[in-house]
Amino acid sequence: MNIITMISRVLIAVAALLWCLPTAATDNSALNVEEIVHRANLIAYYQGKDGRAEVQMTITDQQGRERERRMIILRRDDADSDALAAHAYLSAQQYYVYFQRPADLNRTVFMVWKQLDSEDDRWLYLPSLDLVRRIAATDKRNSFVGSDFYYEDVSGRQLDLDEHALITETEQYYVLRSTPKQADQVEFDWYVSHVHKSTFIPVQISYYRNDPNKPEGHKYREATVLQVETIQGRPTVTRARMQSLDAGTETVMSYRRVEYDVGLPADIFSERHLRSAPRQYLR
Amino acid sequence: MSYPSMLDKLAHRSTAFALRRAGLISLSLLLSTLLLVALAALPSLWPQQFPGLHALSIDTDPENMLAADEPVRQFHDQATADFAIHDLLVIGIINRSDPDGVFNPASLARIHALSEYAVGLSYPATADGSGARQTERVIGVDILSPGNVDDIRQDGPGQVTFSWLMPEPPDTRKQARAVRERALRIPMLAGTMLGRDHSTLALYLPLSSKTISWNVRRDLLAFVADWPADDELHITGLPVAEDTFGVEMFYQMAISAPLAMLVIFLLMWWFFGHLLLVISPMIVALVSALSTMALLIISGNTIHIMSSMIPIFIMPIAVLDAVHILSAAFDSHHQHETRADTMQAVMTELFRPMLFTTLTTSAGFASLALTPIPPVQVFGIFVAIGVLLAWLFSITFIPAYFMLIPEQRLQSFGHATSAGNDRGSWLVRSMQLCARLATTQHRLIMLAALLMLLLSVWGISRIQINDNPIKWFESSHLIRVADQVLNDQLAGTYMAYLQIEADASDDLPALRQQLINALKQQAQDMPASDAAVMQAAMQVIRSEPADELNDWYQAIQQQLSDQADHSDQPLLWEDAWQLVDRSRALQESFKQPAMLAWQLQLQQALQASEQVGKINALTDIVQTVYRELLGGDDSAYRLPESSAAVAQTLLTYQNSHRPQDLWHFVTPDFRRSNLWVQLNSGDNRDMEQVIASLERFLQSHPPPQPVSAKWFGLTYINVVWQDKMVHGMLLAFLGSFLIVLLMMSLLFRSLLWGLLAMLPLTLTVALIYAVIGFIGKDYDMPVAVLSALSLGLAVDFAIHLLTRTRQFYRQHGSWAKTVPQVFGEPARAISRNIIVLGAGFLPLLAAPLVPYQTVGIFIAAIIFAAGMITLLLLPAVIQALQRPLFDRLSRRQEDST
Repeated sequence: MNIITMISRVLIAVAALLWCLPTAATDNSALNVEEIVHRANLIAYYQGKDGRAEVQMTITDQQGRERERRMIILRRDDADSDALAAHAYLSAQQYYVYFQRPADLNRTVFMVWKQLDSEDDRWLYLPSLDLVRRIAATDKRNSFVGSDFYYEDVSGRQLDLDEHALITETEQYYVLRSTPKQADQVEFDWYVSHVHKSTFIPVQISYYRNDPNKPEGHKYREATVLQVETIQGRPTVTRARMQSLDAGTETVMSYRRVEYDVGLPADIFSERHLRSAPRQYLR
Repeated sequence: MSYPSMLDKLAHRSTAFALRRAGLISLSLLLSTLLLVALAALPSLWPQQFPGLHALSIDTDPENMLAADEPVRQFHDQATADFAIHDLLVIGIINRSDPDGVFNPASLARIHALSEYAVGLSYPATADGSGARQTERVIGVDILSPGNVDDIRQDGPGQVTFSWLMPEPPDTRKQARAVRERALRIPMLAGTMLGRDHSTLALYLPLSSKTISWNVRRDLLAFVADWPADDELHITGLPVAEDTFGVEMFYQMAISAPLAMLVIFLLMWWFFGHLLLVISPMIVALVSALSTMALLIISGNTIHIMSSMIPIFIMPIAVLDAVHILSAAFDSHHQHETRADTMQAVMTELFRPMLFTTLTTSAGFASLALTPIPPVQVFGIFVAIGVLLAWLFSITFIPAYFMLIPEQRLQSFGHATSAGNDRGSWLVRSMQLCARLATTQHRLIMLAALLMLLLSVWGISRIQINDNPIKWFESSHLIRVADQVLNDQLAGTYMAYLQIEADASDDLPALRQQLINALKQQAQDMPASDAAVMQAAMQVIRSEPADELNDWYQAIQQQLSDQADHSDQPLLWEDAWQLVDRSRALQESFKQPAMLAWQLQLQQALQASEQVGKINALTDIVQTVYRELLGGDDSAYRLPESSAAVAQTLLTYQNSHRPQDLWHFVTPDFRRSNLWVQLNSGDNRDMEQVIASLERFLQSHPPPQPVSAKWFGLTYINVVWQDKMVHGMLLAFLGSFLIVLLMMSLLFRSLLWGLLAMLPLTLTVALIYAVIGFIGKDYDMPVAVLSALSLGLAVDFAIHLLTRTRQFYRQHGSWAKTVPQVFGEPARAISRNIIVLGAGFLPLLAAPLVPYQTVGIFIAAIIFAAGMITLLLLPAVIQALQRPLFDRLSRRQEDST
């Protein structure tokens, strides 16, 4: 075992300890990049054993026209722990996205089994066609139901797909630059995240492409957290925006009635439950 | 004092002044020209230093043939913004030698690189662009290329997959062929991106402004410079044609106009044999054209396709007067003692006809200001100004210049009537022949003219009104070649768009009642506590004032939504919300299967026209995705059966990489649908046929609900402005004709003489347009504009001939004695003008731009026709109508004395 791995292990242990303490008191100065990205990943996608939220999605196009969608998102982690230590929190997940509004999408369901080491599985249930279809995407960077969010923004991008580097620290933020290991798999050349130092919420993520005319790159996409609330003691993003800067469109997702540790049974995330929605968990 | 003698006095005085102050006049001409050019050039070269002055601004956009507030343009702007549609540059790559065409790994790799390169192209916005944008660019997100479009297909049973059609260039031939096979399954791509056979692949680059088309084309051509010859690259599309025409037009101006001047100069030198002297008409023409263009810039007008032709119009007209003066001086110099005597005599004789021609010509052009087409107005006014300037310079500078030449150097100048001067003799002899013909065969000549007129009516009736900016290039031009090749391989490179708007229901009270009834029905089977919620929801609906449909629904749904979020019976409120939303969704016309089925019929009807290569529309997206949802079998290519099924099909589509593509074809309220029509011809005539076939369809196939259909897109706009132009120019020409007739009648103080003066013009125009009708040349923009030029040229000859006839008749009192004199110096001046100008503009035939060729051939034809008619028909008619014509003249003479 080399020195660096040893140090990082120690740091993880320390950090895990600190995690239990009130966040404001955390001394993060010794954190390394891997720590930061895992904490941010946990905060953004893995809090609690499961979670439920009602999401109001507002898609605004370049002409300022708005479209509204409302859905209930159920999430369940395979892991029982939220511990950072040994990445215990990190596990496969299931998502169940149940559309409420508009009326002609009512009862439409989008279900995802997110895998850690294989391709995700995605299903779409279209009630008016009474049709369940698996939606295989060769990549995860296509639109999530017509919004500016990508499917990968909603379910989270695997951390080890990118090289992460801490480029600077401000009073409030760690500023990270992440570069894809397989550049041909994604449309960005790198992205820059501002991770809040005390909550580890990635408050802003900006996506860049190389531009021969601009050494600083061409920023074409940006996610911004607009509101954070503490729910069941967990800092939770309740309003987030994604802008497609080239297309001039943006989507805001507002989360209502967020709840953690609902006790969602694993079997509701099944093909059978696409047609007959688990009503008691969707109220 | 009567005006003829006043004119004679004016002629005498102005000439005396010019002769006395030759140096002053030359100097002031030089200074005024320099001043005007400086005022125009300085702010153009250094805009920062001269903020108060107008800089040169160039506008080559044919769209601006229509005023910016023209409804069709406003709608075009609105619709292109609503559907986020941009002008498209069409790039076709053709490989005819590879067995797989362009679908081989190497070609696809090159195409991929080209597409990646094109995504990043951007240019600084032009200085005069009023838009807020700093740069204009290729709209990367909307590019259509194999690497940028989605493929939707089956990926195992019950599995639909979205992926980039060609995320990376393939490695093997098999993979390369598969790209085409996959794309063929997508109706939106077949014909649009894929050629008829595997040889061709097309990319579509949307531009934020068509003003960068030329730059984009240049850079793309540079990028592919090292491509092997087997991969041919073709670039076309109306934006690039229009922009390229604008650029090449200015190069052409710089080549053609000086070349025409050079030929005119050489011909004059040959005629008058005096190098120094024939420079003066060149100076007048140059100074008139320069000053006019400078005034145009100083007054803040843009240089447009039309106004760029101003110099070409002014120059021949300016040369006319100068040639008349020089010709008269040439013929009479030997009779006079000094150069001053010669000039004084010449100017006294020519002052009146030159003034008359100038007044009528400029009035004729000025009347173009009455057309509803802004560039034509500017053109007419400034040509009128230029003609006046040319006259002013001719009557002052030419005599002054004559005086500046030392007497002894004029020794050689002049035409002696005695035999031995071979340079003039053939001209003299042919004019004598003309005179004999006109007086002895006048009946035959008039009969021939009448026959020609009748023939012309037939020819004119065969004229085809048509235009196509691509055809402004010669058939060997690269853009023209690209146009031909790509329209053969692809569905079409000319874009027109058809918006179909469903009329919003305006019967809000009825909708309200339906909603309340539906809620009542739900409430019936509910326990009282639940029914109370429905009652409350009904109250919300009742109390919301019914103004505008969308606002009304939104206001109601907002209230119901708030109740659902905050009351203790959220599910019941949500039920009410859903009920209202289903009612609202019925207003989303283009989610209704019946409406989509009707639109599909409409598409099929339009597609029956051979000009329509393809239509891309919402129906294609819905049917394609629906087919894949149902398993991908061809038989499943159809419309879903309910509006919710349509909505869910589209939701599936929106999980792709390019969800925004949907909004090119329908507005988010699903009330307006847009059909992207690819035409394989940009001829206005063809677009008009498509418009007509739409009208027929709408007549015979009433839609399920009332709609209004409106066209937009460049191909359609061209039809509109051409229509305006043709009718506008026709009216303007008739107006100019009447004004010239009126002025001639006033100046000659006789309607009969006035009508006589119009004869050459009338017959010339009739003949020219008859020829256009017979040979099948399209009556297009340049042809329409050029009818105005005949005003300036044909009237000039007639006025000179008639004025001189009247002058000589006054001296002799006999037509028989007048004839030889008229066919002396005046007829020779006209002939010289015919030869100088007719031949002078023939170099334009070598220009690579068709409108320039048209101008060249037109000027020559107008001049030859008008000249011949003036020299033959006018004397013949005078011969026949001697009594009424000269009776009027002598009566008048007696009056004025």
